Amino acid sequence: MNIPAVEVADLVWPTDINDIPKQVFVRPDIFERELETIFYGPYWHPVAHVSEIPENGDFKTFDLGRVPLLIARDDDGAVRVFINACAHRGNQVETAPCGNRKHFECPYHRWIYANNGDLKTCPGSDDFSPKFSQEAYGLKQLKTEEVFGLIFVTMSDSPVDFDTWLGRARDTMQHQIGNAAGLKFLGYQKVQYACNWKVYQDNDGYHAPLLHTGFRLLGWQGGGGEQWSTEYGHAGVDSQLKPGKNAGVLKDPSLIDFRDATWDSGSYVCGFFPFVIITKHMDIINVRYAIPRAPDRTEVHYAYFAKADDDSEMERQRVRQASNLTGPCGMISMEDAAIFARVQIGSHSPGVATFQKGVKDLHSLDFEFKQNDEVANIQRWEFYRTIMGFKKEGQQS
Amino acid sequence: MNAMAQLEIQARVDNLQNRYMLALDNKDLQAWIATFADRDDASYTCISAENEANGWPIALMLDDCRARLQDRITFVTQIWKGTFQDYRTRHFTQRMSCEQESGNTFRVRSNFVIDYSFDPHPTKVLAAGVYEDLVVIEGEEARFLSKRAVYDTTVLPQYIVYPF
Repeated sequence: MNIPAVEVADLVWPTDINDIPKQVFVRPDIFERELETIFYGPYWHPVAHVSEIPENGDFKTFDLGRVPLLIARDDDGAVRVFINACAHRGNQVETAPCGNRKHFECPYHRWIYANNGDLKTCPGSDDFSPKFSQEAYGLKQLKTEEVFGLIFVTMSDSPVDFDTWLGRARDTMQHQIGNAAGLKFLGYQKVQYACNWKVYQDNDGYHAPLLHTGFRLLGWQGGGGEQWSTEYGHAGVDSQLKPGKNAGVLKDPSLIDFRDATWDSGSYVCGFFPFVIITKHMDIINVRYAIPRAPDRTEVHYAYFAKADDDSEMERQRVRQASNLTGPCGMISMEDAAIFARVQIGSHSPGVATFQKGVKDLHSLDFEFKQNDEVANIQRWEFYRTIMGFKKEGQQS
Repeated sequence: MNAMAQLEIQARVDNLQNRYMLALDNKDLQAWIATFADRDDASYTCISAENEANGWPIALMLDDCRARLQDRITFVTQIWKGTFQDYRTRHFTQRMSCEQESGNTFRVRSNFVIDYSFDPHPTKVLAAGVYEDLVVIEGEEARFLSKRAVYDTTVLPQYIVYPF
């Protein structure tokens, strides 16, 4: 792990609650401190859904910050998350993004691990040090929790209480991925954006009717809805987006049919702190795993799902919508991606980025807001500021 | 098929691929759709090799009928107008195989590379992969009945506006 090269005591946070110092988007030392404090700290991070590795022996690799993870289902069906590094010399064990294996072999000294993490063989162990035992040198397993099949992981041995941490987010997740029969994985869209991870997470609701021409052309002005946030920095939207008018824009309006409205007619966004997002818009069920690669680079894996009990026609509908409406080339989301890079470039200028819509009081958190307000972001920023230890102007301790 | 006929077929296929690349590099999406057969079932798919290899159906672009091809033009030219920073592309292809599927329909496989220039950065590779095409030849002209762009990289370097 990296040690911050520069102390960050020189960053003083503005007193007005809606002002965010732009330095936090561009400073490499702050990025390193975020990795240690947030990504390797006592918090929980979604890294996979069980349906992505449905068969015994299936695995997926992922990165939590810079830490390589191996998420594996063993021969008995149990899913575990390991550090993807050999317990011997730390060599990366598995390089494939996904696959199926009975065991994982480190090519360096041929240590072989079962898919439950146990060390099975290690040539030459008769000459190993007195502290070696085969039982103690399995793959390092991390603590996990599972909600509606979504696996959360933490690097900490003493993390914050999971249920308390999840809080209100669970209610929205129920509407998104809480299908009783479970989910079926449909595939990924993976992309890197030229922005800080917090620029990506800040992509709030306020801009939607303004930036997204598609919303207007398709008659998708927001219906009634509720925006929520929690003290741990999660935020989301439960709303009734009213699609389907088309307004003559599309030659194939079947793309925007909403066919599973009997299950749940809502449109839902659930953004976890620090920055994994679940969305359900129309028939698209989408988990957006994200990796902070560098101060100005963020990687997003859009993972798409069907309900496990969908018929083939419903599954096809979800594939058509997901492959055209969302993601890095999506009709209603490509513009977001284009904005990320420009916010990042602008963040090299001095001063603060500021939230406006829905802000009533400059010095207190407000948990009541309208669907398109950008106030919900402020709760997350306040949680971020607190755990990062940035003091407000005039604050003594 | 005799050798001369095969060469003529290949020439028409190559001409089609050139028209396709020129259309995209010129951002002329009407010329792009004109490379597809004028049939309701003409299709274009752009999908990652990772999804393809694992049998996962999610694509980056999935235009499974002519109406969807037309709607992609609407996305790019109307819905996204004024919302994104534009970039320039140069497409390169190499035909690897061309086999008769039936009658006047040919299965064509070509490697592709797309360079892109995104100001103010130097030119880089946007994507490399394989075009898996079904080409129908009617009279002098070849057109795509279906075109699948299967890109190799697991993680794309940025947002995508234009078809591959």
